[in-house]
Amino acid sequence: MAAGGNNRSRLLLVILLVTSLFLITLDLRGVNITSSSRSATQSFLAPIQRGVSDLFSPVGGFFSDIKNFGTTKSELKELKEENAKLREKVILNDDTLGQLKKLESVLDLAGRGNYKVVSARVIGKGSSATFSQTITIDAGSSDGVFKDMTVIGELGLVGVVKSTTSSSAIVLLMSDPTFRVGVRIARSQSIGVLLGEGDSEYTLQLLDPSGTIEKDDVLLSLGSDNNRPFVPGVPVGFVKSVKNSRLTLTQEAVVSSYSNLGSIGVVSVIISSKNGGPKDALIPTPRPTPTKTIYVTPPPTLDLSDRAANEENN
Amino acid sequence: MSWSRVGFSSALLLFFFVVQEAAISKINFPIAGFSLYLCVVLGLMALEDRFGAISFGFIAGIVLDFSPSSDSPFGKWALILTIIGYLFSRNRESIGDFTERPMAFVLLVTAGATISLTMFLIAGLILGENNGSIINNLKSIFGNGIWTLLFSSILLPLIVKFRALTLSSRERI
Repeated sequence: MAAGGNNRSRLLLVILLVTSLFLITLDLRGVNITSSSRSATQSFLAPIQRGVSDLFSPVGGFFSDIKNFGTTKSELKELKEENAKLREKVILNDDTLGQLKKLESVLDLAGRGNYKVVSARVIGKGSSATFSQTITIDAGSSDGVFKDMTVIGELGLVGVVKSTTSSSAIVLLMSDPTFRVGVRIARSQSIGVLLGEGDSEYTLQLLDPSGTIEKDDVLLSLGSDNNRPFVPGVPVGFVKSVKNSRLTLTQEAVVSSYSNLGSIGVVSVIISSKNGGPKDALIPTPRPTPTKTIYVTPPPTLDLSDRAANEENN
Repeated sequence: MSWSRVGFSSALLLFFFVVQEAAISKINFPIAGFSLYLCVVLGLMALEDRFGAISFGFIAGIVLDFSPSSDSPFGKWALILTIIGYLFSRNRESIGDFTERPMAFVLLVTAGATISLTMFLIAGLILGENNGSIINNLKSIFGNGIWTLLFSSILLPLIVKFRALTLSSRERI
């Protein structure tokens, strides 16, 4: 019997392994089973993600507050309930104001670049088990958001739309290891490719062998045909340090992005852009470098009459 | 393994998949993220016999392959979790019942989560995927291992209780 059970398990193992390999092969050969199934899953998950986001985002700190509700006196209870309601309102207002502030900054950037945008809230993040860095936003194809559109945050590029459903979209963040964007250096107009590295730092590979990179150089997106996936002129990041390697033909640099991808709440998807883009209009204004003022107090000097008195004493 | 148990466990897997995708993924865990789904799946698999562990591994993998944020080919998680299911069942045959040894259970689930993520990366390399720098990936696997170790001690007793509820009277004997 045991041998029969083992044989049955072995047969099942072989069948399931072959099925898995068959599915992988189908996917790699381009049979479109994944995108439709994953987009169906996303359609199912988006309302839940939105609900969870609505539930936890503004009321996160509220649970600890309502935990202490006393049951001693009815008056006290009423007052506390009223207080809690007011507090909830304040928290909700704070949350709304915070989102509004971020949205203002995003729209400001989009306005300066003459981009037509659709703004959206971030309602989910990619699972850690997939090793890909994505976010889910609450705008989809019914809002005019489609695959391969540029996504910007309050300070610059965030990523690119990877897939959409009617009411949500998945955005591939620029920190994802598979992310690539053509950039130009605002100072020298040299062009290169920015590569996502899986964390907050990026690698810039210059395409021009004679081009040079300097620390604090500002990088703008180069743009693509028909503005998809990237519109030109979006601030991408700035050079943090230049790699000095003789092994590479062109220069490389470590880049920091303008957008803090760890705390994005609101983003804008660029629906269309004016021909040619905003050129260099979106280069972030440099922060004023702090100037040090040094006050030098002269050392106390002896008066001439005092000096004469000293000489007499000597 | 009865069909009702397959149904119950599949429903549980779907529930935890939704919780993972909608809520857990939104939490910014220090070091790296935590996969509640993997923890539950591995906990369930560790309690099953060989047939059950392999079947659950495959079903759980297919569910995880539906993850909209995933960039990997469909079927990759199914392949990996089927193999992990087989390895778990082999291990269970040699060690015995985990329900009376909670520490061994927690450590096995943690090791399972770490091994499955490592296998996922290795399979990605074989398939020519770009998974980023090794250091970041090691950090993700290590972080996930730490969180699995912490949370599995709370979750696994619940999983054992749930499984006991779904056992038919014949399976209890």
